[in-house]
Formats: sequence, C-alpha cells, structure tokens
Amino acid sequence: MAASSPHLSQLVNPLVSVDQLASSGSQLDGVPSDLESSCIYAGAQLMQIAGILLRLPQDIIAQAIVIFSRFWIGSDGGSLREFGVKDVSLASIYLMVKLSAYPKAPRSVINVFGYLDSFHSTLGDLKGHVDTNNPESYYVSEGTYVAQRAQLTKMETIILKVLGFQTHVALPYNICINYLQALDVFVDHETASHLAKRAFAHLNSALLSPQLLYLTHQPPALATAAIYLSAKETGVKLPDAEWWEVFDTDREELGFLVVAMISMEDFVKEENVKWENRKAPSTLIEMENELERKATANGHH
Amino acid sequence: MASTPAATPAATPKTAIKPLDRTFHGSTSIGSYELEQKVGEGTFGEVYRAKSRKDGEVYALKRILMHNEKDGFPITALREIKLLKMLSHVNIIRLEEMAVEREKGTRKKATLYMVTPYMDHDLSGLLDNRDVHLQVPHVKSYMLQLLRGLKYLHNSHILHRDMKAANLLIDNKGILKIADFGLARHYDEDVPKPGQGGGEAKRDYTTLVVTRWYRPPELLLQLRRYTTAIDMWGAGCVFGEMFKKKPILTGKSDLNQAEIIFELVGSPNDNNMPGWHTLPGCDGVRAWDPQPGNLDKVFGQYGDDTVSLMRQLLKLDWRKRINAIDALKHPYFTNHPLPSRPEDIPWFASSHELDRRNGRDGRGPGQAPPPAPAGGTVGGGPNAEGWAGKGPPNGSSWEGNGRNSRQPPGSSHPPNRAYESRIPNEIRLPNETRVPKAGPDGRGAPPPPPRRQPWQTDAPPVRSASHLPPAPPEGSRHPLPPRPDPFIPRDPHSRDSSHAPRESSHPPRDTRPPRDRDPHRKPANLDSYVPSYSTGGRRDDRRDDRRDDCRSAEREDRYRPSSRDGRRGSRDEGRRRLNYDDVDNPRSRDDRSDTGGRDRPRDERPRDRDHRRSRTRSPARERTREREREKEHRDNRDVYRR
Repeated sequence: MAASSPHLSQLVNPLVSVDQLASSGSQLDGVPSDLESSCIYAGAQLMQIAGILLRLPQDIIAQAIVIFSRFWIGSDGGSLREFGVKDVSLASIYLMVKLSAYPKAPRSVINVFGYLDSFHSTLGDLKGHVDTNNPESYYVSEGTYVAQRAQLTKMETIILKVLGFQTHVALPYNICINYLQALDVFVDHETASHLAKRAFAHLNSALLSPQLLYLTHQPPALATAAIYLSAKETGVKLPDAEWWEVFDTDREELGFLVVAMISMEDFVKEENVKWENRKAPSTLIEMENELERKATANGHH
Repeated sequence: MASTPAATPAATPKTAIKPLDRTFHGSTSIGSYELEQKVGEGTFGEVYRAKSRKDGEVYALKRILMHNEKDGFPITALREIKLLKMLSHVNIIRLEEMAVEREKGTRKKATLYMVTPYMDHDLSGLLDNRDVHLQVPHVKSYMLQLLRGLKYLHNSHILHRDMKAANLLIDNKGILKIADFGLARHYDEDVPKPGQGGGEAKRDYTTLVVTRWYRPPELLLQLRRYTTAIDMWGAGCVFGEMFKKKPILTGKSDLNQAEIIFELVGSPNDNNMPGWHTLPGCDGVRAWDPQPGNLDKVFGQYGDDTVSLMRQLLKLDWRKRINAIDALKHPYFTNHPLPSRPEDIPWFASSHELDRRNGRDGRGPGQAPPPAPAGGTVGGGPNAEGWAGKGPPNGSSWEGNGRNSRQPPGSSHPPNRAYESRIPNEIRLPNETRVPKAGPDGRGAPPPPPRRQPWQTDAPPVRSASHLPPAPPEGSRHPLPPRPDPFIPRDPHSRDSSHAPRESSHPPRDTRPPRDRDPHRKPANLDSYVPSYSTGGRRDDRRDDRRDDCRSAEREDRYRPSSRDGRRGSRDEGRRRLNYDDVDNPRSRDDRSDTGGRDRPRDERPRDRDHRRSRTRSPARERTREREREKEHRDNRDVYRR
C-alpha cells in the first residue's frame, strides 16, 4: 500500500489477509475459537484499563490494542499456548508507549499490570476490588520486577518479530472528526458533540471487537460506520445521498461494520456472564487449566 | 467473526501448516543472507554487506546494538524502522526487511539487522575521493534529488534532523538516497507550503539534534520550536560541500560553529533573523560581532545562481529560509548547464579505492589506504549513524595514515574526507568501547525530552562526555578541515585578512592560539578542534554534553583559529574545485560507463576494503578521531574539553 499511495501511508493500516483470518496460532494449537476470542477480548480490555491507569491518551492505548490483536492473528501469529495474554498485553502497551510521546518506565507498566492482576475478575464489576484496596496484594517486589522486566523485553522482541517490525497503526479518530466536519454536522454544536462522543464510543468499543474490526477494515470505513451508527442513535440527519461513498466506504462494508458495532453490546454481556467470577486465562498455566477444565466438561457430556 | 469460521477450517490447515514453520513477513532469518564483510561501524551498530540468497542482490545489513537492555528494544531503532516502513520514495533509503539471527542452543537474545539496499557511496566519502570530480550538472542532479527527498519527507510530516553528506547515500546509478533516520521524528506542524519557507512550529522539540557542522543557527541559539527549515540548512551545507569537497562550516564547538556561520552569512540582527535576541543563545553567548557575511566571496566563483540558492538555503531567518518545494523551482536548476540525469553521472567507485590506495589523496601516497575505498562507499543502510564508521580492514593502519596523510600533504579538502573514510577503522575501536552509542552530536538527541527521563536514566551521557569529545559524527571524517590549510594553496591574503580583523574584534577568538592557517601548522591543533562534541552520549545525554561544550567557550576560542583555517582551506579549495569541475577525469567517467566500474574485478577487490571503511556514523568517528587526537594532542584537548 505504501508504494501505491505514499502520501497516504500514514493513514492506512496493513490489514489481515483471508488466510490469516482462517486460522490462528492458537487454534492450530488446539485452543477453541470461542476461548480464543474471550482471551483476546479480556487482554484488550485489560490494556484499556491499564492505559487509563497509566494516564495514556486513548490513541496510544488504541494502537497498543491493535498491535496486541495483530499478534494473535493467522497461523504465523502467536499462540495462546505459547504466550500468556498478560505478557503480550503488557509488552504491547510498553512497546507503543515507547514509541509515543508519553514514555513510561517499565516499572510503571509492570506495577499497573500487577495491580490489575490482583483483581479476581477482569471483566466483572471492578468497584468492589477498588474498595477493598490491599496494597500487599499487588505489590511488585524488586525480584519480581526484574524477572518481569526480562520477560517484558523478551516479549517485546517476539511481538516485533511476529509483526514483521511493523508498528505503525493508523486510527480512525482524527478522520472521524474530519468527516463530521465535512458533513457539516457541527453547525449545531450540542447535538454534534453528542454525536461525536457516540461515534468515539463506538470506535473505542470496536477496538475490543471479537471480529477484529481494526484489523479487517481501514480507518475511513471504521469512522464512517461509527458516524452512521451514532447519527442514527442521536437522530442527527445526515445527507440523503450516499455520503459514505465519499469516504471510500461502500454500502456493503458500511452495513457490515454497523452490524458488527451494534453486536458489541451483546458480546460484552455474554462475556461478562461467562467470566463473571473469574478471569479469562491470562497466563499459560491458566490457559492449560482452562483447557483441562473444558476437556473434562466435554467428557461429562 | 473471523475466528468462528476459522474454527473448523483450522483442522485443515493444521496438516498443511506446521506451527513451527511459521514465517513472518517483514522479518527473515539471517540465514537468508550471505554476509560478505563488515562495511562500517557506528554508534548504532555494525554494517555488513551481504548477498541475499533469495534474489542474489547485495544488501547492507545494519546490526542493531542492544545497548540498554533495561529498556528493551532500542527506541531509536524502533522509531527508525517505523518511519522507514512508512516511507516510499526513490530518494529515501528503503528498508527491505528485518533479519533475525539466533544462536542455536543459547538462550541469548536474537541479534537483529535492518536490511536496506547496498549503496556504493555516501556523499561525504565520494567528495573525499580525489579522483571524483563532480561537475556542475552532477552537483545539480544530486541537489535535485536531495531536495525531492526532503520535499517528500517534509510533506510526510517528518523531520530528518541529521542532514549531512555522510547520510546521503549514492548508488552506482547516480541515485541519491537520504538515509539514517535515527534522529528523525514526526513533525507535528503544518507541512511547508510554497513560498512560505518552513512556516512556524507550535511545539517544542529537543535541540540536541543535527550534527554540529550542519546545525542551523536557530538550533545553535537554542530555538526549540524549530521547523523543517533545519533540514534545509543542512541541505545548504551539503550544497556548499559539493563545491568545496569538504564540509563548509566545521565549527570546533557550538559557539565556534555559530561564529563561523555568522562569518559566512552575516551576524544576526532584527532584519535577517527576527527574534534572534529572544533566543537563549549559544552557550550563554548572545551577542555577536556585527559581520556582513562573505558568502559572495566564498561561493561567488561558482556563479550567481549558485550563490542565490545557497543564500536561500543558508538564510538565518528560519521562517524565510527556502523550503524544498521552492528550492526545486529555483532557477539554478533550469539554468545551463542543466542537471544531468542520474544515470549520466559517472560511476566513481573504482576510482575511489585506487586513488586512496595510491595516495591519490595527495597526502602520503601509500597512506590513504585503508580507508574507505571509495570514500563514500559504504553500504550504508539507511542509518548512517548506525553504520557509519566501519573500519576497513586496514583500519588500524589507516588511522596512522590518515592523520599523517591529512596533515602533511596539505591536502586540502579532499584529504579530509579521505581521512574520514579511514576513520572508520579507527572508529571501530572507539565504537566498541564507547558502546554507549551516545551520539555525540546531533544524532543522538531524541525527540521528546520527556521520554528519556524514564528510561534513559542509564544514559550514557556521562561517558560520552568523558570519553570522547566526539566531534560531530561526520567531523570525524572531516577532521581534516584544519589540514586543508597546509594543503591548500590557499590564498592566505584574502582570508587571513578577513579573519584577522574579526579575530581582533571577537574577544573570544583572541584567546585562541595562532591560527592554523599556516600550512605548517601542526595537526595537533586540528585534532583538538573536534572535541566539543564530547557530548557523545545519546541524544539525551548529548544535551548535557553539548552544553558543556558550549560552556567551554574558551576552548572553542582556541580552536577557532583552526576552524578558520579549515574554512579558508575550503575556500581555497574552492578555487581548486573549479578546476576539477572543468577538468573531470575522463577516466572516471569511462569507468563508470554502464556496466563498467562495478563489475570489474578491480572494483571488487578495492571494495572490500572500501566497504569496511564505509561511512561511519559521525559520532563514532568523531569519537575515535577525537581519541586519537587526544592522544596526540592531549594538551590541546584538555583545554577544550571541559
């Protein structure tokens, strides 16, 4: 893509191929696809929370989540039986933070993940955990830190290699605003800002989509779909013409993305039910235990 | 969901794809390359020439040094890779892929290489080569290509921040590529618009960038909100360098750099550099002796249009300094003689090597040697920095040679480079030692200051400062400047006279010892000048270092003399230049003839040597040189070093 449109290269993402979507390292290693989706979703959500605790801007967090998602894709991608979700999410954040204008020390990142690790559930209600604040439960000793930092740097290199050292991630947030301006939505600021907020919310949710929308669609399509959907929700009237065509998105793609974004709500509800009182496996050991548990359960059937 | 459908199919692929055979696009195993030889060595790593087993093409592999494992993968390399992956332009080095080397059985970390096309020269080395006689059409062609590359970069919101001849790679087809993005960063401001210079920046950037000799006045005066105009200044320096065959502004310290800049283009005032007095200043120095500038004198011989473009590029006012878009439209490129097509530029490689070996450099005959084959040849990858110095095999020898040769022969400019090229060898040592890649000069400075804080604690600054007084990276090569004097038949009169007065006027200068202008002057002085760069450390580090340098204005003063000399030398050289322009060796051209040069056997031999020598990262070289110098001239050194 870079060659064909050099000047746009910063706005374009490398997308997954059909082959890469057809299988993944995890599936090849025997991880059921639903469990895989749960793990990746949990990891992405963990990163979102960690990013907030690290006081990172959302675009850095989003880039890290995209990198994290790319890591698991395709038969060449990382396998959940080879790499723990927590390690990969931690290294993904660290890697993207390193490239950003908001550097964080490895210690900060490890501390945050140590804190989040003390929660009994990544997906459930976090409030209870926060209320029972027990520093001892998340204190990262020097020894642990050194070990984790070693693991972090190792994981970082592995991620880079799996990604072919492609760390560029284009995001739809900026162009989403541009598109809204182009659509003259901001004439009425109150509704427009409401609309923009909804659109951003959809873009943020889409980051966690099990359909890996950020890996399958370019930022303009994502932005267009988010605008379309939030305009429907907020009752803002957009041009009658097929305006999305202007933003390089055809009707079919728009429809797919809108449905996918709408489906996020149900997906999250299901996940929350599924993992209400426990954590999706975030380490190799937890993964093995989970697989064993599943096997046993299936055996009973 | 992608994954869902995959579930079933997964079984199928399972048989077809063995997980262990996973391959990663964009990264490959080192096994797919046949390493030929080390071409260079620099702060950021070593550079090897290698042949691909896939396509048989020759590539440059730059090894990424893991200096600070605490922070994991080096941020500079990461940034460089990211930028290079986004860029696609004929005049920008292309990152082919990453090669991974793993030692079997060990748990050791893998070694990583950046793979780029192998380029036969860097411009600095090329200019060093006495056998190379660039003609005006060639200079115009290189300039055009450089400006096109810069236009593309700037339009892509990228600041290169280490523009210099050593970072401009040239292949045997006459194509120039901008390399070494180790200091580059995303530019947050509006891109340059026609007729509007570099525009204005709204945010602060680190001033610890750009190799000193190519550092623009606003950076020397500590402007933090700089723009794409900083790269244009570097382009102007390179432009002049192509005529003079050596860097045109070779300050021995930041302060001295500012002084010689003002000497050339005039001292800052409210007209030519609005707002200059509000800048922090260089090393605390904020007042400058009024000077009219002598650009006309120095470059007048090359024609009015040359001077005109030069003046536009070397404008003190960064807001008005011409941008790449406008520079490309400058009449210089449409006046006769017209720029030659890249493919019409002679192939120089062979000549380089031979020349050097033969001592064509003029300095000692045999000495020139080891060095860089083609002066410029380095396979450099994109990152000049990284690779920069590679020592040629002769390295050790060459050092000695280099120096000797430099000074004695009075080799004017050319020698300088030659030396530089040699430097690589020397460099090796230094590099290794210095490990901390502290980029002495500019290269180092990382963008956002904040970053470093966190990790960079490790910062090597200290050492850098201590060890080396790394001169600007390139400097290493060019350390010669001083020598030129001897060499140069310079016309002492004009320059001397000019200098003399100034000196008197400038308080600081007085301090310095006698100028080196004399052909006889000792090399020692020369060496000494390098020092200021001691900053060496990484970018961050550098800051401190630099400051230190600045602080030591005194030393600078001392040096100045030499610097001036260097300059003169250059001027003198200029005259000579004329000659070469006209002259040209037919022979070089012939060689280059189509197939010519490269294929020839002789080329090959020389190359090896040459390659090694390849371009060094300037910092590295500088350091090495500095060290050498130091050894030789400890006295001077101490002085200037703080």
